[in-house]
Amino acid sequence: MTPVSSASPPLAQYRPVQPRYDEYLDPGGHRRPAWQVVGPVLDRLGFEGLRTCAAEARYMVHESDANFRMISDQQSRPWKLAIVPMAMDSSDWSRLEAGLQQRVRLLEAILADLLGPQQLLKQRVLPAELLSANPEFSRSYHELPVAGHRLSLTAMDLARNDEGQWYVTGDRTRAPSGLGYALENRIITSRVMPQLIRRSNVTRLASFFVSLQQHFNSLAPRMRDNPRVAIMTPGKASYRYMEDAYLARYLGYTMVQGRDLAVRGNRLNLKTLGGLLPIEVLWRHVSDALCDPLELDPHSSQGVTGLLQSIRDGVVAVTNSIGSSLAQMPALLPYMEEANRFFFGDELSLPSIPTHWCGSPEARCQVLEQLDDWLIRPAFVVSGKPPIEPRRLSQQQRSDLISQINARPHQFVAQQRPTRSTTPVWHEDRLHSWHVAFRSFQLQTSTGVEVLPGGLVRVSPDTESLDHSPSSGRLGQDCWIVSDQPVDHEVTLLPAPGSELRLVRGGSELPSRVAENLFWLGRYAERSEAIARVLRTSMVRITGENDVEDLPDLPRLLAALAAMGQIEPDYAIQGLNVSMPTLESVLPESVFDRDQPQGLQAGVVNMVDKAAEVRDRISLDAYRIINRIGDNLVESGEEAARDMGTTIERVNRLITDLIALSGLANEGMTRTHGWRFLQLGRRVERAYQTSELLAATLVNPIADERPLLESLLRATDSLMTYRSRYLLQLRAVAAIDLLVNDDTNPRSIAFQIESIKELLDRLPATEGTLSLGPDQRIAETLLHRIRMSDPNILARIEPRGRSELEMLLQQLIEDLPKLSNAITARYLIHTSAPQELTGRVDTIVADKPNGPG
Amino acid sequence: MASPVRYRITHVTRYKYAEPVAICQNQLRMLPRDFDSPFVAVKCQRSRATVRPQPDQLVEHLDYFGNRVLSFAIESLHQELEVGVHSEVSVAPGSLDLDGDRTPWQEVRDRVDQRDDSNWFEIQEYQFDSPRVQRGPLFADFAQTSFAPGRPILEAAIDLTRRIHADFDYNTKVTDVNTTPEEALEMRAGVCQDCAHVQIACLRSLGLPARYVSGYLRTVPPPGKERLVGADQSHAWVSLYAGESLGWIDLDPTNCCISDVNHVPICIGRDYSEVSPMRGVVLGGGDTNLKVSVDVEPVG
Repeated sequence: MTPVSSASPPLAQYRPVQPRYDEYLDPGGHRRPAWQVVGPVLDRLGFEGLRTCAAEARYMVHESDANFRMISDQQSRPWKLAIVPMAMDSSDWSRLEAGLQQRVRLLEAILADLLGPQQLLKQRVLPAELLSANPEFSRSYHELPVAGHRLSLTAMDLARNDEGQWYVTGDRTRAPSGLGYALENRIITSRVMPQLIRRSNVTRLASFFVSLQQHFNSLAPRMRDNPRVAIMTPGKASYRYMEDAYLARYLGYTMVQGRDLAVRGNRLNLKTLGGLLPIEVLWRHVSDALCDPLELDPHSSQGVTGLLQSIRDGVVAVTNSIGSSLAQMPALLPYMEEANRFFFGDELSLPSIPTHWCGSPEARCQVLEQLDDWLIRPAFVVSGKPPIEPRRLSQQQRSDLISQINARPHQFVAQQRPTRSTTPVWHEDRLHSWHVAFRSFQLQTSTGVEVLPGGLVRVSPDTESLDHSPSSGRLGQDCWIVSDQPVDHEVTLLPAPGSELRLVRGGSELPSRVAENLFWLGRYAERSEAIARVLRTSMVRITGENDVEDLPDLPRLLAALAAMGQIEPDYAIQGLNVSMPTLESVLPESVFDRDQPQGLQAGVVNMVDKAAEVRDRISLDAYRIINRIGDNLVESGEEAARDMGTTIERVNRLITDLIALSGLANEGMTRTHGWRFLQLGRRVERAYQTSELLAATLVNPIADERPLLESLLRATDSLMTYRSRYLLQLRAVAAIDLLVNDDTNPRSIAFQIESIKELLDRLPATEGTLSLGPDQRIAETLLHRIRMSDPNILARIEPRGRSELEMLLQQLIEDLPKLSNAITARYLIHTSAPQELTGRVDTIVADKPNGPG
Repeated sequence: MASPVRYRITHVTRYKYAEPVAICQNQLRMLPRDFDSPFVAVKCQRSRATVRPQPDQLVEHLDYFGNRVLSFAIESLHQELEVGVHSEVSVAPGSLDLDGDRTPWQEVRDRVDQRDDSNWFEIQEYQFDSPRVQRGPLFADFAQTSFAPGRPILEAAIDLTRRIHADFDYNTKVTDVNTTPEEALEMRAGVCQDCAHVQIACLRSLGLPARYVSGYLRTVPPPGKERLVGADQSHAWVSLYAGESLGWIDLDPTNCCISDVNHVPICIGRDYSEVSPMRGVVLGGGDTNLKVSVDVEPVG
């Protein structure tokens, strides 16, 4: 390893790996043209400057919109960005660009032929088995009509050989991922090094996205000036979910899942609270075979029943068209040159990685003869799995592979191991020479093929990890196309100032699924806050000056925590028998306990997951807070010290963040149905948790209630109000009035139920009904019950405790879950599970042994 | 050419649901199409589909295999669905000399593989796996007994048909719509769909092109008995490509015969999944009760 000296400039110490082509230095050791401006600026920044930039970039990546990850999903790897970009000069780029454009036209022609006249097969340019032995080719794809081209957005994975020639290692024609990350890499890199990017004449990316929007609009069968464009995402479990949400927000598209959509009246519609809204253009990221359970895979839950028929009817444009994944099968690679000659009569300027399709007997012989030289991959699908490397196999595995290839030769391709260029990578405070995998994105419109001036660069010290899958590799980098002339800065995604805009208010466009997730987000946020407050009050009491024996309120607080599901009920029953050391560990441990289904951890995890489900509906600021809550409480929970002091501190931070979150929702969200469902969730949960808390603490009164009342008021954030009214006189009747009946206190049960009633009244009514919905009826009943209750009577102690209070709270504890279910049933569950009809009677009795069947 | 026989076919499917259905979307592959080959000529004289309740959409298109597909949707609450297809079809057997052809089976396969057969392109896609039929040594072994090297293709194929018919127990209780050919072969039992899938798997495992035919079979009442109206069933059998001179020959493993004037083909595909007469998705409905009545009546 080269010794690092902070004195000399970073790039001066850069040593490329021989004999690879290096993106920065030519073989003579001189800077390549693209780096003439970039290089010296990086050097001037020096090690210290680059360290600072890298730290800033790390922070921005962590805070980024596109990096939000599910904390329940332990596998997802946060994306990482190395700040020094890969620079390419514009003449080098133009050559590559022309090759990419040519290839997109070729892929379009191949796809249109395979799904149409099939001349390539009939004329034996391609082996017919590429379709006939291909399990991915559903016959329903054939002759589906298309608006414009079959391919809109495509991507190509590239590598550069030792001679500096780019070549394609794979095509992506279904729904290429990574465009969002390429954009976000650019945004972060240019924020970290704003001067540099401006001075270096780096071509902007924004115009590509403007073209993308214009193109998608132009595909719409109707309403071309302002069609509803939706991104159809496979859902939260998919690796591309966060990126889809990011793109939806950036481009202003609705993000939808299969269950948000319905084909009705021969249109594709979005199911919203306000009814059905037609979708004109669907940018689908769902697999071909999963798009329509009626005509394709009947078990798919990602698609929409009837989608293919609506495509045939020409009422919706789906892009890339269904079946487009056929154009990315690796088995096509050996035949690209031939196909290009067949269609266009010229040569491909951008070669593909040497590939053999084992379905051809000659190719198979060649592969089996020199098996160790090849990487073996599936022929018909792009796989996320690493390729098989025969030279690393045992004798047994090797002969198994050979017999597999001989038994199903059509299923395999053999590819050469790619050689890759190297580029400077800033990692761990110095520049390394790492290998490059480059993904370029292309947009095909009615006027031609536009290539994103940049792309997604993946870098790694070893080449193998880059070969594994299109998302493997250690770090990402931005890619700069550097012009020798100043570039146009004026492009923006905002509409032109002069264009006409229809004013819109409200938000009945809320998909029912989103409403449901917002409702639960509200409930989980509120549950977390309620538990955190009681927990904090209890812990603060324990760490005070008194002995546990002198805390008469503690058993009641523990009972409340048990009722809320935070600790095992045993602790509450044992009461004072629980010794100090036990409690000192039990309460902090419970904060990090993942096994309590109703506990704080579960509340936070569920809250973050629900937030992820509605990623595209939540502001970035709100997201950052939610992200921080997850990091603070869940991610770092494992190694955190679990003493009382540290835990109180953590719970404090949690409560502050939760308050900030609800403040943001109040101040930042428009009063649409989305906001209403979030609030409904909060109100229902707060009323419920307060009822549980009061039932556990006040129904069976202790001898001296004053310390308990103080803790109770503290835990419900009402102590200040109380003191301002009653100073130091602590009386149960006043506390009950404040927490149950006082509809001016936003913490009281009366306030929650009143809000619930008002929120429900503003939701869209079922058409043609004048009577109250079941949800409204429960809310009205509860409101009436609270209003009619008298705090003096509620506070009265009878031989069996406060029985009036108990009856009221019991009704709330029973009815609030029913209310929640009624809301869900009325607004949120649009559909029962679909079932499949087969038209076949399977259990008739056979009385004709030789009859027809 | 033998004189054509004309049939009036009525196929009524009735669903009753325990709970209301909010929406149903369906595809029917029951409307007759024309076939014109040296083996058989089928002509759809007329056809009509009735759907109750009144569908909100009803459109027809041709699929990849040239089958007629009727798609319909009912978007209002309903608890019963009745689909009736009424058609008139004429079937005329060709005048092929089936006994005279002695082409060895390997030659048929090799000519397709070598692209020497003039029909190779249309034929070859029936040689490979399809959604419901995967080739395998199990099927190749079973078929081998009938397909000795050099044996004329039709003789070998009829022998295979005969063996499946003899070995398999026709039993509607052991298989269902999702039974795999492997399971059916293992049990040596099933209905027409299973027998057809097994025979297709056998033929394709030898490299021969084979396809699935759905249609109807006219049932001839026992002597002295009346024909029972509505007691017929939809049926399925196999079509084998037997070389350029014979073309596609239909074989019925359920009834141990080369298909004849009593068979009315409706749709073709690689297997059941591509020709299922009715496929649909409903929302709601709960338990469903299905009744099917089929009537194949010779006329004129």
